[in-house]
Amino acid sequence: MNAHQSVSIVMIEDDEGHARLIEKNIRRAGIMNDIKHFLDGTSALDYLFNSPHGPMLNGPALVLLDLNLPDMSGTDILAKIKQSDGPVKRTPVVVLTTTDDSREIQRCYDLGANVYITKPVNYESFAQAIRQLGLFLSVIQVPDIEE
Amino acid sequence: MAGEQGHSFAVNDGKIGRVLIAFMAVGFVALIAAGIAAAWVTGEMARHSQAVSHTYEVELSIAETRRLIEQGETTRRGFLLSPTTASFLDAYNTTAAALPVATKRLRQLTYDNPRQQVHLRTLDKHLRELLALRAESMELIVAGDIAEATERFREELSSVRLRQIRAVFDLMAREERNLLRTRDAQQERSISLFYTVLVVAGLLLGAVAIAALLVVVRYTGDLAQSREQLQQLNESLEAIVVDRTSDLSRANDEIQRFAYIVSHDLRSPLVNVMGFTAELEAATATLRELVERAQEEAPAILTEDAQLAAREDLPEAIGFIRTSTQKMDRLINAILALSRQGRRVLAPEPLDLMRMVGQIRDSMAHRLDETGASIDVVGSLPALVSDRVAIEQILSNLIENAVKYRHPDRAVEVQVRGAAAADRVWIEVSDNGRGIDPRDHERVFDLFRRSGTQDQPGEGIGLAHVRALAYRLGGTITLRSALGEGATFRLSLPPTLSLQEKS
Repeated sequence: MNAHQSVSIVMIEDDEGHARLIEKNIRRAGIMNDIKHFLDGTSALDYLFNSPHGPMLNGPALVLLDLNLPDMSGTDILAKIKQSDGPVKRTPVVVLTTTDDSREIQRCYDLGANVYITKPVNYESFAQAIRQLGLFLSVIQVPDIEE
Repeated sequence: MAGEQGHSFAVNDGKIGRVLIAFMAVGFVALIAAGIAAAWVTGEMARHSQAVSHTYEVELSIAETRRLIEQGETTRRGFLLSPTTASFLDAYNTTAAALPVATKRLRQLTYDNPRQQVHLRTLDKHLRELLALRAESMELIVAGDIAEATERFREELSSVRLRQIRAVFDLMAREERNLLRTRDAQQERSISLFYTVLVVAGLLLGAVAIAALLVVVRYTGDLAQSREQLQQLNESLEAIVVDRTSDLSRANDEIQRFAYIVSHDLRSPLVNVMGFTAELEAATATLRELVERAQEEAPAILTEDAQLAAREDLPEAIGFIRTSTQKMDRLINAILALSRQGRRVLAPEPLDLMRMVGQIRDSMAHRLDETGASIDVVGSLPALVSDRVAIEQILSNLIENAVKYRHPDRAVEVQVRGAAAADRVWIEVSDNGRGIDPRDHERVFDLFRRSGTQDQPGEGIGLAHVRALAYRLGGTITLRSALGEGATFRLSLPPTLSLQEKS
């Protein structure tokens, strides 16, 4: 990730424990970008589209999305992001969830998800997966908001 | 809808049958009565004609006797007038000889009639006197005493004897006529009786035929009606079955969804427990290092409790949390796998069971070689159209169990056999292993339940999975076993899996 552009990571995850573990392991991978954490879909969407600091009005972002949310399905958020107009549409979305149902995975890619990762239950694998995601994030190119 | 099932049908086959048999019996009785009447009437007719001919015979006989008497009188008179004419004498002698024969015959014919006998006795008395007079007069004529004979003859002419004889004959003739009339009347009565019987029998037969016809018509009507009811019932039954089936599959879907959601939602907190346990472990390692450094550099600040906590209590607690969460993870995965299996769409195809067992054997070849176990198919296995994955999982689970739970004293021998019977196909997997206590025969099919010595790894999932699969394929699985004597699992399936359930 281009550090000078300060890409912010938007994490939409209702489980605070998971959020903490994800954040810890991303940091351990050496990613120091700003991480905004949202516990529900409504506030996350509000931030993405309306916040002056959000990707719509401000710099580039990357979304980490859990599918099991209390107020709406993660796939709805994914659809809203990918079917919107403007810069948010080009925001990379990494679906990070417990569901490994093949239909669900297919549906997410159909809706335009960029990466789909199943959270391994085994913590060592989980930590490793997040760290690898961190490495991935460090090389990923995010579209410039100005373009 | 269920209320219709208690409906009673109007048609009672047994009752109808009895009524028809009763009608037929009445008809037969009428026929027999008509037959008996006909036979009786025929007998009566025969008897009557016999009686009629008898009467005529009697009349004939009376006339004959009378003729002989009159002829005798005539010839005697002729002889008296012309004594020289021998032919008169001859004729007289002939009639005199014939008369006793005729009277005897008359007596015989009227033997059974006392009134005629009375008449006959009167006749006899008169005849005897007449004959005696005749014989006398004839002798007188032969002797030439014509005058005396003529005198006698005249006397006799004036006497009433001959007229009395004639009157007796008339009486007898009338008597016979009366008899004949009585018999004719009797005859007519019996004939009319016969016709009455015939008419009654005919009417009875007609009535029986009409009644039977009505009964049959009504029975047919009832039958058609009940068939209609049956059809309606059948249709409603089908609707009920469809309803229940969809209810069932809905309930099943619900359970599957429930299991899936529960296991997923259980996984989420488990990730936290395991994750933070790992974090704790890392933190404990740091703490232990600190404790060790403190022990070396400033033992005074180190309490025994802190030392114990860092070295033993924390690692122990973390260890227990770890093994428990790992176990929970395995269980959740098992539920997830089961529910996923339940959601899988079945695809029936013709299966080569021999090959399938061969493949399972090959996949276990290493383990079989190590333990000296053998897996054999006895005879040939039946043709089966079913879901490949499901059947494979059932068979491999059963065969793996058979190899796994061996008897410590003998080499494992697994036998697979099967056959098609009626509308089912059965496959048996039997082993010579340690066997299963009959008390546990139901339990072993339950999820997370196991039986016997717990010396083998496993979660108690395999047989639950097998049973769930067997049910899904429309089959059943049963177990025969005694402790220490091996076990036989029998899988019974429909020969062709039909996908009626809309999953």
